[in-house]
Amino acid sequence: MSDTAPLVKIEGLHKSYGGVVKVLQGLDIEMKAGDRVVVIGPSGGGKSTLLRVLMGLEQIDGGSIVFGGKPYISANGNGKTAIDAKVRRSIGMVFQHYTLFPHLDVIGNLILAPMKVRGEKKAEAEARAMALLTRFGLAQKAKSYPAQLSGGQKQRVAIARALMLDPKLMLFDEVTSALDPELVAEVEQVILQLAKQQMPMVIVTHDMWFAKNIASRVIFCAGGVVVEDGPPEQVLGSPREERTREFIERVFHIKH
Amino acid sequence: MTFNFAVVLKFQEALFLGLWMTLKLTLICIVLGCALGFLVALARTSKNAILRAASSVYVEFFRGTPVLVQLFWIFFCLPLILGVELSNMTSGVIALTLYMGAISSETFRASLKSVGREQLDACVALGLSHWARTTNVVLPQAVLRAAPTLLSNCVSLFKESALVSAVGMADLMFVGQNISNNTARPIEVLTIVALIYFVIAFPLTRAVTVIERRILKRLAL
Ligand SMILES: Nc1ncnc2c1ncn2[C@@H]1O[C@H](COP(=O)(O)OP(=O)(O)OP(=O)(O)O)[C@@H](O)[C@H]1O
Ligand SMILES: [Mg+2]
Repeated sequence: MSDTAPLVKIEGLHKSYGGVVKVLQGLDIEMKAGDRVVVIGPSGGGKSTLLRVLMGLEQIDGGSIVFGGKPYISANGNGKTAIDAKVRRSIGMVFQHYTLFPHLDVIGNLILAPMKVRGEKKAEAEARAMALLTRFGLAQKAKSYPAQLSGGQKQRVAIARALMLDPKLMLFDEVTSALDPELVAEVEQVILQLAKQQMPMVIVTHDMWFAKNIASRVIFCAGGVVVEDGPPEQVLGSPREERTREFIERVFHIKH
Repeated sequence: MTFNFAVVLKFQEALFLGLWMTLKLTLICIVLGCALGFLVALARTSKNAILRAASSVYVEFFRGTPVLVQLFWIFFCLPLILGVELSNMTSGVIALTLYMGAISSETFRASLKSVGREQLDACVALGLSHWARTTNVVLPQAVLRAAPTLLSNCVSLFKESALVSAVGMADLMFVGQNISNNTARPIEVLTIVALIYFVIAFPLTRAVTVIERRILKRLAL
């Protein structure tokens, strides 16, 4: 796939919870294969909802998403959402609260999906898992249970677990905001490492340093629509929209 | 008053047979009762309203009536209703399985509920099928979480099984009562019987604590 063909094309996305709480109200986003999109916006603005929809975890009310040229998610009128499970498998997500499987050790967490979803052999999956853990500096934790890990380690394991399925797009929803400050860097470094390898990603973060360093593009979402969309220097540095400026000053304590 | 515990030794064999009956009955009803309890727990969270209603009525009825009454009902009323003869063992197994099913279904229900939505989201994000999710994530976590309470349920069943002596099943309690009547040594015989129950139940109640501390803590479940 060329660098300019859209990897993700979101059109007219509408999403509400129970028809009452209208969260996304006609969202249009086009993402290229080389993009690393950072989504910022006020609390309750629908950032997590957007990522959950992209992951195929939510029903939608209207609109469609095309992934890698294939129809992925669409609302088919009668209140049902069509989600292509095969396309969904090429997307990985890391959540704010780790969501590791507590009854499995680290390696067990990593190999479950490859074995069950792709029918990979145990030895083969374990070898790949160990290679990934080594790369993330977690090799000696392979036999530990999630409860025995620090928050930073848990989150790195969660990232490794998602990577085991060779995703073509990674979604990160505030993956460092539940961590103690001193553990944030180790997780961000892992994501930066992925960025260097050209992994396409959508990231929700409140960390200005991280946003600036990882983003190829920043999207400011508020009120369920895209308010501003552009390169990080522009959106974070000299926002065009008043709402973006106000938000960035308030959250990141930056005066323009 | 003088005690003569040697009397009890003479009836060793009878007591062993009684204990064997108690253990057999308990073990059979643990296996059947847990299986029933798990299915009932699924039924109680089912989308089907009839399944939900039927399983609730069953559980509430068995939790809200004395085990002794349940036992008498199954021994004396069920054969009349079904029009068949049921052996003592069959009736005992039915009665205690239904009792165990009712209490363990509540245990399973709570543990199934405790597998949070986030875990299910993670499964979907990893592409796990509904079946893989149930067998590899929900079931193991539910069983582990249920383990301590389930073991307590087993101990309750073991102790409640003594009630079958009231309908003439030759379990440990029944044998003990007989010996104590025949020898006129109730203190010695019933004390020994109590000790036998205790020696078996006590390690199990301790095991509950160990499981809670070690396993559940290690997994932070
Ligand atoms: N499962 C749900 N049921 C009902 N309402 C929900 C649900 N999840 C989110 N909402 C509501 O949808 C809106 C958007 O929530 P969302 O979590 O997407 O916002 P967010 O931008 O991620 O916020 P934050 O920065 O606080 O994480 C909020 O008003 C929230 O209360
Ligand atoms: Mg959020």
